[in-house]
Amino acid sequence: MSSRSVFAKGSPIRRWGPWIAVAVVAFSALSVAAFGTRSAPTAQDRVSSLSRTVKCPVCSGESVAESNAPASQEIRRQIAEQVQQGQSDDEIRSFYAAKYGQAVLLTPSASGVNVLVWILPVVALAMGIAALAIVFRRWSSMPQERATDEDRELVASALHPEEVADRNDPHGEGASR
Amino acid sequence: MNLALGSAGVTLGFAAAVLGAVTVGYGLIRNRPELVRLSRWYAGLVLLGGILAAIAMERALITRDFTVLYVADNGSTKTPAIYNFATLWGALEGSIILWALILGGYLMAVVVKFRKGLADPLVGWAIFTILIVCIFFFWMLVGPANPFKSFSPPPGFDGPGPNPLLQNHPLMAFHPPMLYLGYVGFTVPFAFAIAALITGRVGEGWLLATRRWTLIAWGFLTAGILLGSWWSYEVLGWGGYWAWDPVENASLMPWLTGTAYLHSVLVQERRGMLRVWNISLLCATFALTILGTFITRSGVIESVHAFTTSGIGVAIISFFALIVLSTVVLIGWRGDRLRSPGRIDSPLSREGAFLANNVLFAAFAFVILLGTLFPLIVEAINDDRISVGVPYFNRMTMPIGLTLLFLMAIAPVLPWRKASGELLRHRLIWPAWIGVGSMIFAVAIGARGFAPVLAFGLGGFAAGSAGRQLVLATRRQGWRGLIGRANGGMIVHLGVVMIAVAFAASSSYVRQAEFTLTQGQSAQFAGHELVYVGQNIKQESAKIVDQVLITIDGTGPWAPSLNKFANGNQTIGTPSVRTTFTDDVVLSVIDIKDGENGSVTIRVTVQPLIMWLWIGGGVMAFGTLLAVFPGRRRNPLDAVSAPVTVGPPKDPTGVTA
Repeated sequence: MSSRSVFAKGSPIRRWGPWIAVAVVAFSALSVAAFGTRSAPTAQDRVSSLSRTVKCPVCSGESVAESNAPASQEIRRQIAEQVQQGQSDDEIRSFYAAKYGQAVLLTPSASGVNVLVWILPVVALAMGIAALAIVFRRWSSMPQERATDEDRELVASALHPEEVADRNDPHGEGASR
Repeated sequence: MNLALGSAGVTLGFAAAVLGAVTVGYGLIRNRPELVRLSRWYAGLVLLGGILAAIAMERALITRDFTVLYVADNGSTKTPAIYNFATLWGALEGSIILWALILGGYLMAVVVKFRKGLADPLVGWAIFTILIVCIFFFWMLVGPANPFKSFSPPPGFDGPGPNPLLQNHPLMAFHPPMLYLGYVGFTVPFAFAIAALITGRVGEGWLLATRRWTLIAWGFLTAGILLGSWWSYEVLGWGGYWAWDPVENASLMPWLTGTAYLHSVLVQERRGMLRVWNISLLCATFALTILGTFITRSGVIESVHAFTTSGIGVAIISFFALIVLSTVVLIGWRGDRLRSPGRIDSPLSREGAFLANNVLFAAFAFVILLGTLFPLIVEAINDDRISVGVPYFNRMTMPIGLTLLFLMAIAPVLPWRKASGELLRHRLIWPAWIGVGSMIFAVAIGARGFAPVLAFGLGGFAAGSAGRQLVLATRRQGWRGLIGRANGGMIVHLGVVMIAVAFAASSSYVRQAEFTLTQGQSAQFAGHELVYVGQNIKQESAKIVDQVLITIDGTGPWAPSLNKFANGNQTIGTPSVRTTFTDDVVLSVIDIKDGENGSVTIRVTVQPLIMWLWIGGGVMAFGTLLAVFPGRRRNPLDAVSAPVTVGPPKDPTGVTA
């Protein structure tokens, strides 16, 4: 086998080469994105992302970041102080959970009944995929009706009455022209 | 006068709906088409009832007729005209009038569109079903949500006006009607689905008849949702546009199942399969619009114990139960006819991709339903209060969203029946390079983080494959290639990609901070310079507007403000947004200290690419319009699916021995 045939039309490298290149470039871009240097979040960024996970205790369904109620302004100020004192995100969140009850955390905890809210979607999706797999298996075991040569000639003569059954072009795609 | 006119309208609509349903139903059962044909008169009367009710309420609002309780509760002499007009849908009772009016309009449209086929039992039963829905909504207006209750105002009485948030932005005049046109629009395909089950004509006839109706309803719903999020962005002032709150979730759920239906219906049209599934999706979509109304209107979200006190909540949830129950019973009854003989040959095919799309959209809707209702379930079970909020929804929907983007990249190039690896490698290589190119571009300009960069890559990939289809179509037929369902759909895909990319970027790279500034002082934040230049106090009829003037990078001044409404002691902030193609700066006033040299506290939110959410919404609407127009009629003999290998393997040179 000469070296030219490796790059000949239809060779694995010709078929897969561009896709390997795509994969390599995509992989490197994603690793830079995931592990590359980025500016560390400032204290202000931590305050705003934390306050998006704490519910405003006096409003309905708004986070402390969204709400402009005095209580929320106070909590935002307090979170800023706690961040300044070097408390961790979890410490700050559990402080508010202890003060106002679990309902103040917008992320439900993964304990007790609350586990369901995290698990059920995964179970539902898995069931959906399993159902798809089962129907595809059933479909693939079903006998397949195949067109016979007679059927094809019938179609061909209906399509081109004059030139009966152009067998080189069974799908009328013009490949032989 | 307004009370009398309105009550007359409501009663007329209710009576016409009841009589119509009885007449049409009797005519259908006794096989008397001349009775069914009477439905056009009943439809006209139902619509007339809706129009009268709406006119009476608008007239009462405009003339500030406080003898109408709804106006006394929600109107005010100080409210500007446009918001006064929009007060019709500013509270529960009025919004049901709008719902009934639109329902009457759709009913009339069905009767006119199918005027030549009114004797057809399929159309007859569909009209019957719509009339039943009309009965429910007009009954609400007659009974539990009566907007025309009387009130005797004391001399000099003035109402409180609508909720201040609802009179702060002109979008309020457009968002609810759009949303309702979408919600109510799904009644039509739902009614035809029920009619197909009743008549047993579960084939593809009813699908083709309602194809455009579904698309139009979906388009309105899409526009309504996006206008709503634009409104909340411009009005609520926390810098965001989507808070996953119950009202938003209620509108998103039917959108998701409706979108799933729009895709899977193609499989049925082409292969005659998935009949049960399509009917279920459609009924789920309609049922979810009703459930959404229940969630947002019954007060159940505040607490499970609240809704039992409101008769409206009980009424809506009963209607929801009726819909679900009758659908399930009908599907069970017609089970034998719904079975289809076909099969799907390969998961790697257009129909396989649509199935995967359906599983993902259904899972998406399930996550939102679960997250919205879970606090209620927990409260009902063990009287414990928890919250499920933004962090939950973002975390759970992100993987689904990314997978949907990936599917959006692959599916458009897949042929029906079965695709080969060769074909995919060939058709997808350019879209893949566009995806990789977008990732490189994003990383080069400094984007970091795995999920957002992956979203940009998949977005580019999906845009590439939608673009590929559009290029091929226009190459074949010039600009006409853009018209029609397939390619209009690809334009919708481009809009979805814009929104997905904008969503990923804005939620990943949002920066927010608060600054307290004295006059003349400046602050630097996220690459922008803000200078507090002064204040401006305006006296308007309904409110006092205290504007804080701030320049951003030397442009402006921008004027976020605090509004003190004359009625009620509420102070509402109005943000000011500087929009560019690359990023948005939202300013909102937190606090204004009184005094000569008073300082102001403002909140600054900087988010990239926000404008592309609205542009993407426009593109989606445009694409839907193109998809509604009939495209080029395909020659039924043209090959569109991949060739089937027959007998001996095909010789690659095309010469068969």
